[in-house]
Amino acid sequence: MANAGLLGAGHYVPPLVDWFGAQRPIEAEPRGTSALAVPACRDALSRAHTAPRDVDCIVFATINGDVTFPGSACFLQDRLGCDTVPALDVRAQCSGFLFALSIADQFVRCGVYRRVVLVGAELHSVWVNPSPSASRLSRLFGDGAGAWVVGPAREGSGLLHCVLHTDGTRHDQFWCEYPASRQHPLRITVENVREGRHFPVLDEEGVRQFGRRAIPAAVREVLGKAGVAADRVDRFVIAHVFPEVVEEACSDLGIPAGRVANPAAEYGHLGSAAIPVAVSRDLEDGRLGTGALVCAAAAGAGFTWAAALLRL
Amino acid sequence: MRNAHILALGTYLPEKVVTNADLTRWMDTSDEWIQQRTGVRERRFSEGWTGASDMGALAARRALEAAGMTPQDLNMIIFATLSPDVDMPASACLLQAKIGAPEIPAFDVRNQCSGFLYGLAIADKYVKTGTCDSILVVGAEVHSTGLDLTTRGREVAVIFGDGAGAAIVGPAEPGRGILSTHLHAEGRFAKKLWLEAPGTMRRPRLTEDMITCDDPPIFPKMEGRYVFRHAVTRFPEVIREALDANGFTVDDLDLLVPHQANLRINQMVAAALGLPEDRVVNNIDRCGNTTAASIPLALHEAVQAGRVKEGDLVCLAAFGAGFTWASALIRW
Repeated sequence: MANAGLLGAGHYVPPLVDWFGAQRPIEAEPRGTSALAVPACRDALSRAHTAPRDVDCIVFATINGDVTFPGSACFLQDRLGCDTVPALDVRAQCSGFLFALSIADQFVRCGVYRRVVLVGAELHSVWVNPSPSASRLSRLFGDGAGAWVVGPAREGSGLLHCVLHTDGTRHDQFWCEYPASRQHPLRITVENVREGRHFPVLDEEGVRQFGRRAIPAAVREVLGKAGVAADRVDRFVIAHVFPEVVEEACSDLGIPAGRVANPAAEYGHLGSAAIPVAVSRDLEDGRLGTGALVCAAAAGAGFTWAAALLRL
Repeated sequence: MRNAHILALGTYLPEKVVTNADLTRWMDTSDEWIQQRTGVRERRFSEGWTGASDMGALAARRALEAAGMTPQDLNMIIFATLSPDVDMPASACLLQAKIGAPEIPAFDVRNQCSGFLYGLAIADKYVKTGTCDSILVVGAEVHSTGLDLTTRGREVAVIFGDGAGAAIVGPAEPGRGILSTHLHAEGRFAKKLWLEAPGTMRRPRLTEDMITCDDPPIFPKMEGRYVFRHAVTRFPEVIREALDANGFTVDDLDLLVPHQANLRINQMVAAALGLPEDRVVNNIDRCGNTTAASIPLALHEAVQAGRVKEGDLVCLAAFGAGFTWASALIRW
């Protein structure tokens, strides 16, 4: 029952541009979330020495699909040329990539799939409120895509442990209400759009507080399960909409800043793309290599929070 | 590895019945046309401020009760839908809060008509590996608020209904339970049955014009004949795939529970497989197409009617937008 290991990673982050006064990676001409993921997947596949025809499952984590339905995994499957393999779309917001990783790991452990393309990708720029009055929120986000190819791991490596959590009682502290199937008779109206109810909103203090608590809790939980001390971890990769929250969480955990990847500090929030992008970057730069112990954690909308411990 | 099984089911259908005659008040159509093409006689529409998670929560409570469990016993919530309560976060989060489940993982699967079987396949693996002991898998849709209920939208609108189904998935007794699951997709046909907006192919993703224009991309579109042709090929294929994988033939199959997209599709699938009608479950005449909810609704109805006995070989199968298709073979 081999667990899932990382066989290859890739990422695509558009060039930084001025975005409401911040430097953010923004896709100039959006062609769908799956299009953003294609270069990331091609790099991941080539590094995993895997041809698209050898892929046997696609798992796609995003909050914004190419269209409302079908899912972005279907569009990606066509763009990559992966025949008729399963194309699964997962929604778990900012923690989506770690939820998707856990799902992929289960399929690998059961021996059902051996080459899974795992994607976290967000085209936030088409979604946020473009009006100047909302710039404080809109400038937090960037576009990007990260992809991993995962398959049976070498003994002792791969996904060692992961923890996944949700607290839906706070779903409206970081959410986008419309379209809302619960609004009868029509889930989206001109009035909803005029009122800007189709833009994301966030209770800044609530989201910060939650992140400060949830990130250290998830990291401690996953390290505790693995029986690994924090100082044995080579790299922490932590995703949160506010980069200062990641810093605070790491200082709470006693982790030196030099061992932390905090993608939001560099790119703004990349949502489900943050973790795979950061790991792919670190692999490219040689900061991470085979045998490294990585702890990834995320917290965000839902609320969801998660952590994973991975031996590369 | 142990097998997983569907330990209990629960369903919910809204009270409001919408007959084909009711639809003729809003659009140019007829009971005869709808029945002849789709087999739908009536469907349910939710009312008030009802979202997918509201109906899903009602179905979930019934499933938990049938399993003799409480929300505290759950390890995970998987919610299949294409009509979430809100744009973000996932309906699974809202449902978790509504049923009062602990801080367990809760996520949505967005795989359209195959969504319940994709969700079931995921649950199956978590139970097999011993990671989870009780997973709530929900399929729920509020289609009624996303349909163009005018003559312009009739091709699609007459088919769909609202509903919810829930299954508790946990470890099976030896020799029983889910024998295998089979998942597929073919994204080059993504636009043959789709809902374009909002999406990420345009910035901004949603405008007033997308709601008021002559051909609003906020309503689902379907090339019906195309979908039909692929469905009648892929359904038998994925059912045979499940039987072959376990060394069975169609003769061994006691009951087929297909997704309810169109009665004509299901009749052609049964004929292609040589399955008599009494071994196929159909309830589309009363529910319409409830997408991710259709299989748990139909399965639950069959169980309650005594059509599923212990030891029966049951195949669940779906085909729909994506295209996606899937099957699960169960020793009940």
